Amino acid sequence: MEQTLTAEQSLKLIDDMMRQAKRSFHRMSFYFLLWGVLLIGAMLTEYFMDRAGHPFHGKSWGVVGIIGGIVSSMHGARQGKKEGASTAMDRVMMWLWAAFVITMLVTIIGYGVSGGGTPAGSIMVLTGLPTFVSGQLMRFKPLIFGGILFWVLGALSYFVDPQMITWLYVGAMLFGYVIPGYMLKRQEDVLRAA
Amino acid sequence: MSFAPLDPVLHNQLRLAVMSLLVAVEEGDFNFLLEKTGATRGNLSVQITKLKEADYITVKKSFKDNYPNTLCAISPKGLKAFEQYVTAIKEYLKS
Repeated sequence: MEQTLTAEQSLKLIDDMMRQAKRSFHRMSFYFLLWGVLLIGAMLTEYFMDRAGHPFHGKSWGVVGIIGGIVSSMHGARQGKKEGASTAMDRVMMWLWAAFVITMLVTIIGYGVSGGGTPAGSIMVLTGLPTFVSGQLMRFKPLIFGGILFWVLGALSYFVDPQMITWLYVGAMLFGYVIPGYMLKRQEDVLRAA
Repeated sequence: MSFAPLDPVLHNQLRLAVMSLLVAVEEGDFNFLLEKTGATRGNLSVQITKLKEADYITVKKSFKDNYPNTLCAISPKGLKAFEQYVTAIKEYLKS
């Protein structure tokens, strides 16, 4: 790479390298899919066990909170080791989601320990925040809409029948988290392969 | 019309490629720079040293999974020089 550069070549080289660097992002879709599936699982377990006459009294929330926290931390640490570069946005996203995981753990375990009913409404409202901010940072519309959906359905859950909360929650997780997470995974795969 | 002289440290294909990558990311390790630039290890190592000697980048040596790891990041001086270089190039193109 030792040759004289023209002005055009210099600008093209700068542009090419910056495009290359943009492909070096941390994959976020894993977290959306993991937490989406775990939290839907917890909600449905609570719902069906309650209907079957064997209520878990919120224990499922505590279990998925701990599993999700451990798996997310392990995945994040492994990914951090593998990546050769980190951007300022990676750092913002990492701390945003780390703060969210801590907030969720405290909320979910708190509900489980105190037996204070379903945390579904609080989870939806809380989840709206990092989902919406991530969507804006990544300029990824499905996540922006997902974040808004969490806020709307979360707010609605405080006014509806407790049975209905389950289905609002499952809908919010599915359309606000799992489906945008899957779409993001496909986009990440395409960008990495480019 | 006179033009600002181009910075000789930056007006080199590999050094400019390294600086462009480091402007886009907060920090990048040796293997990341190697993969993105397609340079040889020896040449990349030499150019990184030159950028470091000019105080355009900072270089931190550490270990990652028991292997030596060289982590590079652009310095404030390097960022300013890069911006001036891009401005100068654009002036050349406008003329």
